Amino acid sequence: MRLADYIKDHIAAYIIKAVALAICIIFMSAFKANIQAIILVAFVFAMAAFLLDLWEYLRKKAFYSGLKYSLNELDKKYLLPELLEEPGFCEGKILLETLRDCDKSMTENVAYYRRQSKAFREYIEMWVHEVKIPVSSLRIMCHNNPETNKKMIGEIKRIDDYIENVLYYARSENAEKDYLISEVSLQKIFGSVAVKNREALQIMDATIEAKDLNVPVLTDGKWLEYMIGQLMANSIKYSSTERNLIISAYAKETNEAVTFYFKDNGIGIPKEDMAYVFEKSFTGHNGREDRKSTGMGLYIVKNLCERLGHRIEISSEVGEYTEVRIVFSKNDFYKMK
Amino acid sequence: MNKILIVEDDMTLCEELSILLKNAGYEVLSIKVFKDLLSQMKEADADLILLDISLPEENGEVLLQKYRKEKDTPVIMLTSRTGDVDEVLSMSYGADDYITKPYNPTVLLLRISAVLKRGVKSSQTQSYGDITVNTLKASLVKDNKEQVLTKNEMIIFQLLLDRRGEIVSRDELMTVLWDNNEFLNDNALSVNISRLRNKLSELGKADAIETRKKQGYLLK
Repeated sequence: MRLADYIKDHIAAYIIKAVALAICIIFMSAFKANIQAIILVAFVFAMAAFLLDLWEYLRKKAFYSGLKYSLNELDKKYLLPELLEEPGFCEGKILLETLRDCDKSMTENVAYYRRQSKAFREYIEMWVHEVKIPVSSLRIMCHNNPETNKKMIGEIKRIDDYIENVLYYARSENAEKDYLISEVSLQKIFGSVAVKNREALQIMDATIEAKDLNVPVLTDGKWLEYMIGQLMANSIKYSSTERNLIISAYAKETNEAVTFYFKDNGIGIPKEDMAYVFEKSFTGHNGREDRKSTGMGLYIVKNLCERLGHRIEISSEVGEYTEVRIVFSKNDFYKMK
Repeated sequence: MNKILIVEDDMTLCEELSILLKNAGYEVLSIKVFKDLLSQMKEADADLILLDISLPEENGEVLLQKYRKEKDTPVIMLTSRTGDVDEVLSMSYGADDYITKPYNPTVLLLRISAVLKRGVKSSQTQSYGDITVNTLKASLVKDNKEQVLTKNEMIIFQLLLDRRGEIVSRDELMTVLWDNNEFLNDNALSVNISRLRNKLSELGKADAIETRKKQGYLLK
């Protein structure tokens, strides 16, 4: 609160006070009062008015400057009412009360949506859990019936993949900690992803080169399996028509971290798209080229990585390769528990 | 014949599982009434139990915990939950394996046979006719003549031997190989089979592995 603003705000009061003083002086001179007495009265009146105003200005300035400062410094601005001290004047009290009420109402509103999104997520988890039962039945039915068309198994796999996408999207968007960090063998996780995709890979006559994967990493096994599954699905989807798919997976270990490399010899990603591949709903050049792409896969993977504290990097060259690296840090903090 | 008890409340799935397991040569029991599961499980006297986690009366994990206090029959947990927490919990309660739905049937059968084998003190040597199969050394021996098999060849031969007289499909062979982190493609499988045939014929079993067109292989 600047002084000039304050004065401007109180200009009417000053005018009235000045007029009142002038009237007093006129009347006193009309009654032929002693000139010294008039000066004294005028001085006392003016002093009183000035001091009163100065005091008023200072205490308001203290409150509002504090408010402004706190507001600027806070990164969660809605916490402001918690920080303010009880002001000594009426307007300040009204303001603080209003802020507190607004805050309370907003908190309730947010809590309502938070509950709703939590309930929705729980429903998704339950739904996924339920829908997997008939999918399992179908899968075994196909196996039990030797005449089953191979394509049916492929379609069931697709349904299952889509179901997983929903589940992990819900998980990645949720702030709750529902993962479990433990020591997981990259070999085991990569193996089970490969087995799940075996039919598709075999039809394409793909080669899988897996080496040096026998390293433990600290992560959530299920989440990692989903992430590698997504990478594998991308490699299958964006494979080159000119050559057979080769996927090579290996790990490198340093003192601080384990890096998992996942490289294919597919069509690669254009340079101009590289910066956006992890963004939500980004399909890019490859996605537009008649392939079914939702632009969600890598976005979810990135999100899950961030939540687990892993780093993810990607490099690619059009027509040559795409390589994704996931860096697992060897955090002692994790190990202690 | 091994007896397997299925504890799964979805009747369609339970039925399909029974067919799958019966076709694979197991005797199958399943629970029909979901009351007093613990005593039903104890009475069944099975060699292995497939236990679903979400059951109407009681949670499978709790059930497993109680069951383990009295019996040590191998238990494989089946679940459609996809959290690591459930898996860790189940394993700590004494499950022998944990498989998430929807499972690849071949993988499920493999896991079952692996868990069952774990229970039996496996002799490290089997025999095929007059050939001694040394699993640990991965070699075939006949009259002091020894043929060393590669890991892939051993896996293939082992599977054919376990199912001797039956047709084993290429698909099954592939699943088993991949499950052992040997990611062969079609060509490589054919190469491995022909190498295995050569090694067998060195030991005088030239026609041991028969090819059934479009079905698979059969060890005579």
